[in-house]
Amino acid sequence: MGPGSRPPQAFGGIPEIMETLQQQGYIADRDVALSIHLSVVLHKPLLIEGAAGVGKTEIAKVMARAVATDLIRLQCYEGLDVHTALYEWNYQRQMLRIKLEETTGRPVEEKEHLIFSEAFMLKRPLLQAITADRSPVLLIDEVDRADEEFEAFLLEVLSDFQVSIPEIGTIRARHIPYVVLTSNRTRDLSDALRRRCLYLWIDYPTFEKELAIIHRKVPEINDRLARQIGAFMQLVRRVNLDKVPGIAETLDWSAALLALHRDHLDPGAVEETLGCLCKDQEDLTRVRARYLGPILERIDAIGQSGDGWNSDRIAQLAAQLPKGR
Amino acid sequence: MDGTPTGSPNWPPNSPRAAEPDARAQAAGPAGAGRPGAAILRRGDLAGNVTLFGRRLRRRGLLVGPLEISDGLRAMTAVDLADRDLVRFSLRAVFCSHAEDLPVFDEEFARFWQGPPMEGAPAPQDDAAEGPAGPAGEAGEERGRDVAVAEWDDRGEADDEQEVPAYSPAEGRAHKDFSAFAADELQAITDLIIIIARLIATRLSRRTRAARRGSLVDLRRTMRRNLRYGGEVLDLVWRRRKIRKASLVLLCDVSGSMDIYSRFLVQFIYALQGALSHVESFLFSTSLSRVTDVLGHRDIREALRDASERVPDWSGGTKIGASLRQFNDAYGRLVDGRTIVVICSDGWDTGDLDILESAMRTLHARAGRVIWLNPLLGSPGYEPVTQGMSVALPYVDVFASAHNLSGLQALERYLHSPRGRSGRRSRPIEVWNGTMGTAARAAAAVARRPGDGP
Repeated sequence: MGPGSRPPQAFGGIPEIMETLQQQGYIADRDVALSIHLSVVLHKPLLIEGAAGVGKTEIAKVMARAVATDLIRLQCYEGLDVHTALYEWNYQRQMLRIKLEETTGRPVEEKEHLIFSEAFMLKRPLLQAITADRSPVLLIDEVDRADEEFEAFLLEVLSDFQVSIPEIGTIRARHIPYVVLTSNRTRDLSDALRRRCLYLWIDYPTFEKELAIIHRKVPEINDRLARQIGAFMQLVRRVNLDKVPGIAETLDWSAALLALHRDHLDPGAVEETLGCLCKDQEDLTRVRARYLGPILERIDAIGQSGDGWNSDRIAQLAAQLPKGR
Repeated sequence: MDGTPTGSPNWPPNSPRAAEPDARAQAAGPAGAGRPGAAILRRGDLAGNVTLFGRRLRRRGLLVGPLEISDGLRAMTAVDLADRDLVRFSLRAVFCSHAEDLPVFDEEFARFWQGPPMEGAPAPQDDAAEGPAGPAGEAGEERGRDVAVAEWDDRGEADDEQEVPAYSPAEGRAHKDFSAFAADELQAITDLIIIIARLIATRLSRRTRAARRGSLVDLRRTMRRNLRYGGEVLDLVWRRRKIRKASLVLLCDVSGSMDIYSRFLVQFIYALQGALSHVESFLFSTSLSRVTDVLGHRDIREALRDASERVPDWSGGTKIGASLRQFNDAYGRLVDGRTIVVICSDGWDTGDLDILESAMRTLHARAGRVIWLNPLLGSPGYEPVTQGMSVALPYVDVFASAHNLSGLQALERYLHSPRGRSGRRSRPIEVWNGTMGTAARAAAAVARRPGDGP
């Protein structure tokens, strides 16, 4: 496998990966751990898709910490081009050097060679990843926001991990990076890129998983409030909203409630802090007017029955919530 | 996430006969090697089964080719085969490439790796279904090897052919003969339409190219050119924004209520397709038909005739919601944040309005811009109060009339660029006979008479 192949057991087995992820504060399902493992063993980039706010980017960050390597991040946006992603010349330095060289009388070819050398190059994320001293984790974030032209270029880089720079020549990766791509599915990616990658779909967490996340990230929170928050999130995700709140919102909200010294959910507390969850005016009004009462009623019902804190029970209750907009 | 039962008696996929650990299993990676006896793998069987499984998935529309099969086999050497979930997750990571693939995968996985042989399955498939199920003899191993990766492609193609649904012209209920058009009339209209189509064919990209004059300085080229002046910048090299062809998806209603307009609109589609390179065309009434290929004919009469043959119920009823959903399901990939989706319909939907709403929502979320052409909008006193129209309007960016050429012409400026990603309009722009106003009137009418409709 090409240049700079990496040790196949960089992580150890799947249980070890899960443990490492957990130590790093990431509660992973087995399929997440397995995908990371396979991505390393098979030398394939990992494409992670899922709704916004389910922790896709987090995986790459945690992965970098887990293998104790650098994370190099390329944030994609519309109009992102090769210069921004790969390299750019440092024009100020080049001009300064030309000025300094004015009196030396070197031949022009030599001057040109000098100012178009690696020292005058600003390395952008892709080139950084390729020229790193050890395999970094290269996170190509929100690749769906870049355009098709860039995607095609990316495909080329990901297939042989080498780039050619006209002034210098071909630069080949010494250590192949671990590549993680994320997509929010605002645009469909090309089949060619998809086939190049392993695929991982991350859904919103189950109640149990979300509860574990709340406890881990907001350890001061009491169990009752954590459960109520978890159940509220499960229910609110099932009603008709434009921007479905993700895990980041759950954690913000938990922290907010904690800061307000709340130990359980009541209409007043939720009203005050609803802005942590709904970040769209229409959603906010809709939840307030239509869903807040019914959701809280159901959470109370679970609390009283005493044995209903699980995904199945919550799913049943969700089915009874008002439909439509 | 996990809908399939675990702990099936047919698991693990290695057969009891192959009790001797072989070199392959030893090399199976830390997980496998760490548990002697748990992960003994008979390569012949497993390779064959993974291959067959991959082919099955391919027939269900997943992007699985020889490369994926080979990755699947490599993945099998890297996980503990006794752990059914790990095998499932690995094959899923390798064989799936869209979120839509996941339920299909789970269904096929449950059926293939433990269930009885499928009825009417081809012979090698029966072997495969048996393979993971129990002891396979020498013959079984041979057969497993038979379906090696190298042969995969040929067989896959042969199977694929059977999957293509046959089209029977006899199914059509009411075919329309388009060639009954006066030739000169057709030509005049077509010429005009082509001019309009060319006008809307281009738009500016955010990418740039080098140019003699432009709005941005190309630093890289400027440096290079001015090297000869010893670092003084005398010549500037400019960049300007590239012109990019728009990509359009056209969905045209050809049901009975649209009769007098649909011929005209289909020509518009034909002309747009001729002028632009990225156009996908669909016609619908109670179901959807893709007509991009037939409208690609050079001869317009031939194109129109073939298109009318393609649609099973031209001038039939309307199920806009069901048709749009069909579009989202089957052709959703054609739409991205830069695609402009144009729906030509009067909004008389006889189907389920919830389906229409959810289909419109999906389409609106995916597309760069949704334009609804409603021929009735041009008629005096019209208010979009059909139920279908009122359900669809919140997801429409531009609501325009399409009853004559000037209506189409006025559309041009809206085909230039998609709305911003966050730009969700609460009300569509209304284009009416070349003038523009807000759809306040329409929205008010909807609010007054929400239940009015066919």
